[in-house]
Amino acid sequence: MNKQFLKAGMLGLLVAGWLSQSVWAQSDPTGKRRVTSTYAITNATVFKSPSDPGSKATILIKDGIIVGVGTSLTLPKEAKVIAGDSLFAYPGFIAGDGTMGISKPKDAERPKDFVSSNPPDEIAGITPWRAADDFYTASSSQVEDWRKAGFTISQVLPDGGMLPGKTAILVLGDPKTNNFLNSNVALAANFKSSRGMYPATLAGVMAKFRDVYQNTALILDHERLFASTSGVKRPQVSPTQEAMKAVVQKQQAVLFTAGSELEIRRAIALQKELGFKLILTGLENYETVIDLIKSSGAPVLIKLQLPDEKSIKAQKTEGVTEATKAQYARVKEAYETALKQAALLEKAGILFGFSTADAKASEVHQTLKTMIANGLSQKAALAALTTNPATILGISKVAGTLEKGMLANVILSTDTLFKEETQIKHVVADGYVFDYEIKKKSKKTGTADGKSENSNNAITVEGVWEYTSETPAGSSGGEITIKRDSGVLGGTITYDDPSGSGKASAPIKNASLTGKTLSFEFEVSAGGMSLTVLISGEINGKTMEGALSVPQMGSFPVKATLTSPNLAN
Amino acid sequence: MKKHIFLLAALIGLGIGITPAQVQKGSVLIKNATVLTITKGNLESSDVLVQNGIITQVGKNLTAPNGISIIDATGKYLMPGIIDAHSHVGLDVVNEASAPITAEIRMKDVVNPYEIGIYRALAGGVTVSHAMHGSANVIGGQNATLKHRWGSKDPADIIMQDAPRTIKFALGENPTRVHGRGNGIQPRSRMGVEAVIRNGFNEALQYKKAWENYNLAKTQKGNTTTPPAYNERLQTLVDILDGKIIIHCHSYRADEIYMLINVVKDFNIKKLVFQHTNEGFKVAPEIAEYTMGASVFADWWSYKMEVYYSTAYNAAILQKNGALTSINSDSAELIRHLYHEAAKTQRYGGLTDEEALAMITINPAKQLGIEDKVGSIEIGKQADLAIFEGHPLSSYAVPQMTFVDGIKYFDRNSDQLDQRQRVAATEMVEPIYLRANEEAHRCMQDVNSYFEAFQGAFFSEKH
Repeated sequence: MNKQFLKAGMLGLLVAGWLSQSVWAQSDPTGKRRVTSTYAITNATVFKSPSDPGSKATILIKDGIIVGVGTSLTLPKEAKVIAGDSLFAYPGFIAGDGTMGISKPKDAERPKDFVSSNPPDEIAGITPWRAADDFYTASSSQVEDWRKAGFTISQVLPDGGMLPGKTAILVLGDPKTNNFLNSNVALAANFKSSRGMYPATLAGVMAKFRDVYQNTALILDHERLFASTSGVKRPQVSPTQEAMKAVVQKQQAVLFTAGSELEIRRAIALQKELGFKLILTGLENYETVIDLIKSSGAPVLIKLQLPDEKSIKAQKTEGVTEATKAQYARVKEAYETALKQAALLEKAGILFGFSTADAKASEVHQTLKTMIANGLSQKAALAALTTNPATILGISKVAGTLEKGMLANVILSTDTLFKEETQIKHVVADGYVFDYEIKKKSKKTGTADGKSENSNNAITVEGVWEYTSETPAGSSGGEITIKRDSGVLGGTITYDDPSGSGKASAPIKNASLTGKTLSFEFEVSAGGMSLTVLISGEINGKTMEGALSVPQMGSFPVKATLTSPNLAN
Repeated sequence: MKKHIFLLAALIGLGIGITPAQVQKGSVLIKNATVLTITKGNLESSDVLVQNGIITQVGKNLTAPNGISIIDATGKYLMPGIIDAHSHVGLDVVNEASAPITAEIRMKDVVNPYEIGIYRALAGGVTVSHAMHGSANVIGGQNATLKHRWGSKDPADIIMQDAPRTIKFALGENPTRVHGRGNGIQPRSRMGVEAVIRNGFNEALQYKKAWENYNLAKTQKGNTTTPPAYNERLQTLVDILDGKIIIHCHSYRADEIYMLINVVKDFNIKKLVFQHTNEGFKVAPEIAEYTMGASVFADWWSYKMEVYYSTAYNAAILQKNGALTSINSDSAELIRHLYHEAAKTQRYGGLTDEEALAMITINPAKQLGIEDKVGSIEIGKQADLAIFEGHPLSSYAVPQMTFVDGIKYFDRNSDQLDQRQRVAATEMVEPIYLRANEEAHRCMQDVNSYFEAFQGAFFSEKH
């Protein structure tokens, strides 16, 4: 009885809440609602496709679609005009794949009768039924970072083990909604083994892949028999097999992450043995297998990242033996080869796009410039960022070029792309316009919007910051102590000790303050490995927000508050 | 001088760059060597002609057909390439330690042709190695027989494709420690090990029957029999029962060796080789009668409880009892001087030169099922050859050149300081210190990390 009243009461509250919300929505108290969804980018230098030499034109956008590109368009009254006279317009970039905005699924609970030699699929990283859609957050700072770098569409990979799930293709548009273009696109796969259970190694992963594949093929046979003949045992289809069917029937490709040449060979060997449709992704070292890739016919997504220059910079010029010099020369040669790989793919005529999975958004333009400096043509670079991934992802009809009828995904830059001084001023994604601050060359002049920062208003960075970060392993945190010692920033950071309980501490390295952005690195040793963790955040008064990134693992949000400023005093 | 090195480096780089991605076969005439044929005696001042990877003539005063290079081996010894019947060189993974039976695991999936250990083995005259799964499981993975074609980039090019399939079994302390003590499942004892094998084979028989029934039924009209689940683990055991795979079983104690002989007899399995076999001398007649023999260490012992009752006379006793016996390395270090390990059978057991050398050539070839292709210098065999300065069983023996399929992959005269095929772009060049690598034995590789993942158990024994 009482409960009934409670329920009724709750319902009333809900209805009232809904009513009031819809009433308020009319006047939009946030002030963020768009005045119009029609935009005109007038008189910009437009590059419609990678092979277009560029010409002056106006781009008219309505409701997320390019409704016209030309010189004599009639602009509707409601069009908001973006003066493009000094701007260069390119099709929005498409990431072949990436992990922006993707969170890790919660670890499944181990059943009481768990046996590590035969674990349930979900625990062993075999979750092909998962959809990246369910783990994507459009408002993630990573999505913002990639959009800022010019990316307007990405295929997103689910996080997980050897078969983490199905990918989705989405537009990096309105951060308030998930803007999916296609779901259930491809099956993500990789050579990740499970910790402490079968399959525990690369060899186990390959055996398990065959097992899952072959048994799906057999269950399909069983289903056909069941459908055609009476008196047949009912097929018992596991969720894994259900999700694998489209792959076995070759309706859906396997997007196999294979970084090294041996991994690429192994993925292609599995493909030849079993016959699935293959797309290779995450390629890092592939110079020696370019011919094999070509003969396999698999499209590829190479890592939009180049090897760390650390080892080259660490090479000494004096006091080393001839033998060491010879070793240096080999490392240098390997490094230079790595820079040329993208150019070699172009030369071999292989269709390739980029995987952004382990890359840092803030570095990709530099990476692209380096690839171009090492022989990749600008046209091929642009194709790898637009038309190639559109072809590989099967979305060429709606994306990849600046033409009438295409999704309104546009990059507006201050000069032609891949030039040293070029900056991105606006990105239009899904018809939403995002504006970016253009940094002036000289730091002495005030910022473009006139908000000058005088010395009284200088940023306080020194002191003790308490921080928390959200990683797939959960929330963690500690203290960052920043000091300025004869002009050089340094200090220490404490963090949750990965090898047990309690806090560990590490010195801060390479700290720098650029504008409002503080960034620094520190080393964490875990499981005998040393990882370099980069923290970069924007300071606003006593708070800092940014990202903590770990190479190969991704980047995670971090927040910090200045608890005791000015240690120095 | 410096220029010279760089030029050489450039040339080597070029050579590797143009190597086609397929198995290469060479032609060569080796002249005036003392030819240790192993199976047909020793031939003084004799020549061996190799054409397209195959030995085509053995004798005196042979002439080279046009275009074939001649190597003068006057005063040197020519022997068949050494064969190591127990190795883990050239593998990215050794143990899939997560289940007591992992017969579906294929070491061929994880072959790494870039591992420098392959070149070092060549430098010790070794041309073929048996790249085995580790000993964590009662029935481990299927092994790969490798031909040391150094410089190959494709793993398939160093796999001896015409070698029969082999599989790793393991008895005793390793599987009981990993699964029983480590994980609380069968086998916890030597009896449990036997039960795991017997259960495995019995399940395999049922699996075979289920598939036979299905394959028979599916061709019938109105068939309602549905396909059984695919299980490569059981299918591999079926293949063992059908005589398609040679078992290579890690073993130490006489009782468990005899146990396995009885198990394979019960299941009518004929192809069985024992590995390590430290107590083999106690059951030598039984091993001789029923198996393809034993592959043993020359004198390794006492690294764990079950290896205390050992003798350096083991190989000789086995051999004298008629058991096919080979000497193996199980180590990236020992593999470089197996000829020296073989010589120990002369100090401990007084074997003849021919008997001692057979232990690292034709005998392991027989245990791997490749004796019709390699293991001796005979017309028609693959030209895997090693040239030694000094008799290979002498303490002063120094390998000079090593050939696989008539191609020279090692030459002491052109050995470079840095023979690696591949260097990482991010490698931090550190000073190199020469030291003994005590962790070189890899029989239990990948097991520690597997255990650390869930309970932090550590194992110090490696074989």
